[in-house]
Amino acid sequence: MLSLQHISKFYQVSGLKNFVLNDLSLEIDEGEFVSIMGPSGSGKSSLLNIIGMLDEPSEGYHYFAGQAVHQLKEKQRSALYKQYIGFVFQAYHLIDELTVYENIETPLIYQDFKGTERKAMVADMLDRFSIVGKKDLFPAQLSGGQQQLVGIARALIAKPKLLLADEPTGNLNSKQGEEIMELFRKLNKEDGVTIIQVTHSEKNAEYGSRIINLLDGKIESSKQL
Amino acid sequence: MIRNYLKIGWRNIINNKVYSAINILGLATGMAVALLIGLWVNNEYSYDKFLPDYERAYQVRRNFNSNGETLTFSTTSLKLANTLRTTIPEIESVAESDGGSSHGLMVGDKKLYLGGIISGSEFLNIFKFPMLRGSAARALVDPYSIVLTQATAIALFGTDDVINKAVKLDNNHNLKVTGVLKDIPSNSSMQFIKYIIPFSFMEQTQNWVKNAHGSFGYNAFSIYVKLKQGISYAQVAPKIKNVEKGEDNTNAKNSDVIMQPLKDWHLYSEYKNGVASGGFIDYVRMFSVIGILVLLIACVNFINLTTARSEKRAREVGIRKAIGSQRKHLIFQFLTESVLITFMAFFCSILFVLLALSPFNALTGTTIHIPFSSFIFWLIIISCVLITALLAGSRPAFYLSSFNPVKVLKGTIQVGRSASLSRKILVVMQFSCSIALIISTVVIYRQIQYAKNRPTGYNINSLLASNMNNDLIKSYAALKNDLLQSGVVENMTNSTSSATDVGWHSDVDKFPGKLAGETVEMGSIIVSDAYFKTLRMKILAGRDFYNVPADTSNIIFNEAAIKRLRLKNPINQIITWNGKQMRIVGVVKDALMLSPFAQADPTMFMYGADPHDNIIYRLAPGINPHNAIEKISQAFAKYNPSYPFTFRFVDDDYNRKFGQEVLIGKLSGIFATLAIFISCLGLFGLAAYIAEQRTKEIGVRKVLGATVSQLWFLLSRDFVMLVIVSCIIASPIALYFLKNWLQKYEYRVSIGPGVFLLSAMAAIIITLLTISFQAIKAAIANPVKSLRSE
Repeated sequence: MLSLQHISKFYQVSGLKNFVLNDLSLEIDEGEFVSIMGPSGSGKSSLLNIIGMLDEPSEGYHYFAGQAVHQLKEKQRSALYKQYIGFVFQAYHLIDELTVYENIETPLIYQDFKGTERKAMVADMLDRFSIVGKKDLFPAQLSGGQQQLVGIARALIAKPKLLLADEPTGNLNSKQGEEIMELFRKLNKEDGVTIIQVTHSEKNAEYGSRIINLLDGKIESSKQL
Repeated sequence: MIRNYLKIGWRNIINNKVYSAINILGLATGMAVALLIGLWVNNEYSYDKFLPDYERAYQVRRNFNSNGETLTFSTTSLKLANTLRTTIPEIESVAESDGGSSHGLMVGDKKLYLGGIISGSEFLNIFKFPMLRGSAARALVDPYSIVLTQATAIALFGTDDVINKAVKLDNNHNLKVTGVLKDIPSNSSMQFIKYIIPFSFMEQTQNWVKNAHGSFGYNAFSIYVKLKQGISYAQVAPKIKNVEKGEDNTNAKNSDVIMQPLKDWHLYSEYKNGVASGGFIDYVRMFSVIGILVLLIACVNFINLTTARSEKRAREVGIRKAIGSQRKHLIFQFLTESVLITFMAFFCSILFVLLALSPFNALTGTTIHIPFSSFIFWLIIISCVLITALLAGSRPAFYLSSFNPVKVLKGTIQVGRSASLSRKILVVMQFSCSIALIISTVVIYRQIQYAKNRPTGYNINSLLASNMNNDLIKSYAALKNDLLQSGVVENMTNSTSSATDVGWHSDVDKFPGKLAGETVEMGSIIVSDAYFKTLRMKILAGRDFYNVPADTSNIIFNEAAIKRLRLKNPINQIITWNGKQMRIVGVVKDALMLSPFAQADPTMFMYGADPHDNIIYRLAPGINPHNAIEKISQAFAKYNPSYPFTFRFVDDDYNRKFGQEVLIGKLSGIFATLAIFISCLGLFGLAAYIAEQRTKEIGVRKVLGATVSQLWFLLSRDFVMLVIVSCIIASPIALYFLKNWLQKYEYRVSIGPGVFLLSAMAAIIITLLTISFQAIKAAIANPVKSLRSE
C-alpha cells in the first residue's frame, strides 16, 4: 500500500543538519496493523506525519497507493490524502466550537458530500460508536475517552483505507485505552482498514500485526507478531 | 459548507464576547461614519438634479476684466437677457429675475414677510418645479399674478386650494394666485423661494426697471437660460462671449459673457480667473476622504485583533488541515466569518446612523434620510459592506490559513507573534490618521477664533436691523422720532447695504493720480444721517456728514479705499463718481462688513437723505433687550401696521459668516473623535491580548519584586512609542494640508509648534488611559495563579 525509500528529515541548525529521520526505508501492505515504538525524539511522530502527508520529507521517495507522492502537487496530494487517510491524535484535536455531530461531519464537507448523504453517514457512525445521545454536546462536555471516540469516528467517517494514530490512548486511562485498542483491532480485522499507530505502551503495541522500533531516526528492529 | 462556517463563526463571536464587541463596535462606528458621510456627499451631489431638464439650465455670469484681474459676477443687465433671447438661436428660454428678494404678503389679517423671486414668465419652464395647481406655462404671464409654494399658501390661507384668490403685496398691490408649487426641497439652490412674482410686474410698477433695458451697464439682475435639446454649452459659449463688447461702456467693454450649468451651482460657486474652480466641492471631497479613512481605521482593528488572536484559532486550522481541508477552504471560511461580522456591524451602523441623523441634520442644515426603499442604495451599500468584509478579512484569512498543521498541533510555533511588525505598522497608520484629524480640528478652531477675535472696525453688539418697506418710507421719520424719544434706541439710521454686507459696487470714474485705462471699482453705500454714529465707526480724518442736502456732493472713504486710490492728503480732494464731482470730506476706519477672513473692502459712503432699504438701530446701553424689542415692536406696529415686525441682531448676521468654517470645524471634530475612539478600541483589544500573552512573564517579574508601576510602564511603553511615531508622521502631513487650506484666507492664523505638541499630548494621554486598564489589571493579578496555569 505504501512504500518509503531512503527517507530523511532534517532541520538546518546553524549550518549543521539535525536529523529527525535518517535514510529510512519502510514498506507497509494493505490490511496490516503496524505499531511504531521508540523513545522520545526517535522520530515516530515525524514518520507518521510524513506517511500522513501532513509533512514533507527533506529527501527520499514516497509512494502511496501506486502514486509517487514526492512528485505530486499540493492539490493532488490533498485529494489523495482526503480519499485514503484518516488521522487520530493523542490530544483528540476536536474543534471546540463544533458539536460532536458537526465535528464528525466536517471531513465530509471538505469532500463535497451532499447534505442528505452526510446526514446518513454521520448518523450511521454515531450509531456504530453508540454516541447518538451525545451528538449535540460540545467537546468540553465529554470525557477524554468519549472525545477520542469522536476523534476516531471523525477519522473513519470518509471510509479511509489507512488510519494513522499518534498515541491515541496517551491521554486516556487504561480501561478507556483498552476499549480504543479493541476498536482498532475490530476495524482492522472486520473492515480491512490498514492501521499505523505510534505508541509508548508495549501492551497496546501488541494489538498490531507488526512492531517497528525506531531509534535516532532509523529502524532499529521490526518484528512480525 | 457555508452553514458550518457560519455556525463556527457565530459560536466564536458568542464565546469571545469582549473581542467580538470590540470588533463589531469598531467596525460599526467606522461604517456609520462612512455611511453618514456617504449620505451627506450624495445629498450635496444631488442638489438641483431632481429637476427635469436640469442639464439644460444655466445661469448667465460675466467675467469682468478689472485691470488684468478677472472677476466673475452673477449680476447682469436686462439688455443682456433680451440680446440672448433674440440673437442666440440655441437658447430655448430666458428668464430675467431680481435674483431673489423679500416682500410682505398679506391676506386678511395674516401678514408674512418672506423671501421669493421676481422672474420672467419662462422661469417655470427652465426650472420645472412640480406644480400642485395651475400651469407652468401660464402662471407667470399676467403681471399681477403670484405663484405660491404649498407652505406659503397654507400659511396665508390655511389651504392650498387658492387659485384666483388675492394676495396683497407690500400692502400695495393685489396679486392673483395663479399657481401652487410643491415646497422646494432642501437640496435645491432655490430653496429660498417661497413665492414667484412675474418680472412684468416689476417692470410695470418700478420705473427704473423699465429704463434699465437700454444698457449693458446696468447690472442688477440675474438671468437664467435653458438651452435647446441636444445643444451643448460648448456650442453656445463662443457666440455669447462677446455679445456685450459693442457697447461703449466700461462694464460692457470689459465683460465676457459666460454661463454656469445648474448642476454646478451648489458645489462650484467659487470662480478663479473666470473659471469655476472650487467651492463647497473641496469640503465634499475632503470629507469623502475622511469617511474612507475612518472606515479603514476600523478595518485595521479587525485585522489586528484577528491576527493577534490567531493563537486561539491556530489549533482549529491545524485540525481542519489534518482532516482534509485545503487552504482555499480555510480562506473561504475566514472570509465568511468576516462577512458575518461585517454584516452584524453593518446592522449596528444602520442603527447608529438612524440615531445620529437628526442631530446631524440639525448641524449641517440638511434633511438627509436613509433611502431604505431604494434598490440602488441597497445595491451600493451591500457592495460596500462586502468590500469592507474583504478588506478587513483577507489579511487574517491568508495569514491564518497559512499555518503548518504539524507545527500548530504540536504547539511548537508561537503564532500571532510573527505578525507583530505588520500589526505595529497598521497601528501607526491608524493613529497617524487620527492625530492628523485632531491637529486639523485644533487648527480650524484656532482659525475661527483668530478671525472672531479680530477687531471688526465697528460695534456689532446691541445693533439691530430691520427692512424698510413702502409703508414705512412714509412714516419712517415719525417712527425714528418715537424710538429715540422712548429711550430704548440710542441711534437709528438707514442705508443701501445691511451692516454685514456691501451689496453694491461701482466705479470711481476720476480721481487725482488716476492712471490711463485704470478702473477702480469699490463698495458703494448710500447712508442716511447718523450712520457712522449708529455703527460706531471711527472718523479718522475730516468729518462726518452734516446731514444737510449739500452733503449729497460730499463723499467719505474708508482707509482701504484711500489706499486703493493712492491719495496722500485725501481731505478736500475731488473725485468723479456716477458722472458727478464729489468732495472727500472724511476718512473712516475700515469695517469688516464682508468676509471676516479678508482685508476690509475698499468702500465709499455717500449721503442720501431718502430712507434706504436697511434700517439699522442701536439699543440704548444697559437696557434689557427683551423689553426693548417689545417696545420697538409696538412702535413698528403703530407706524407700519400692514407688515409683521421682523428684525435681526447684527452680531448674529456677522457670526453667520463663520457658518461654513464652524460647520467644517464641528464635523472634523466629530470625525476626529470617532477616529480616535475606534483606534483606541483597537488598542484596548491589543493591550488585552498582549497582557494575556505576557501573563507568565509578568508573574515571574512580580515574584522577582517588580512593582505595579514598573509593570505598568513595561506594558505601556511599546504602545506609547507607537503613538509618538504616529505623531511624528501625522504632523508634517497635517501641516501640508492645513497650510493649503489656510491659503484661501487672507487673514489667517499661523501654525506654530504648539498645535502639534498639544495634539501629541492629547493622543498620548488618551492612549495611556486606554491601555492602562489592561496593563494595571495584569500587573495587580496574583502571580501564583498565573504561574500555576502554565
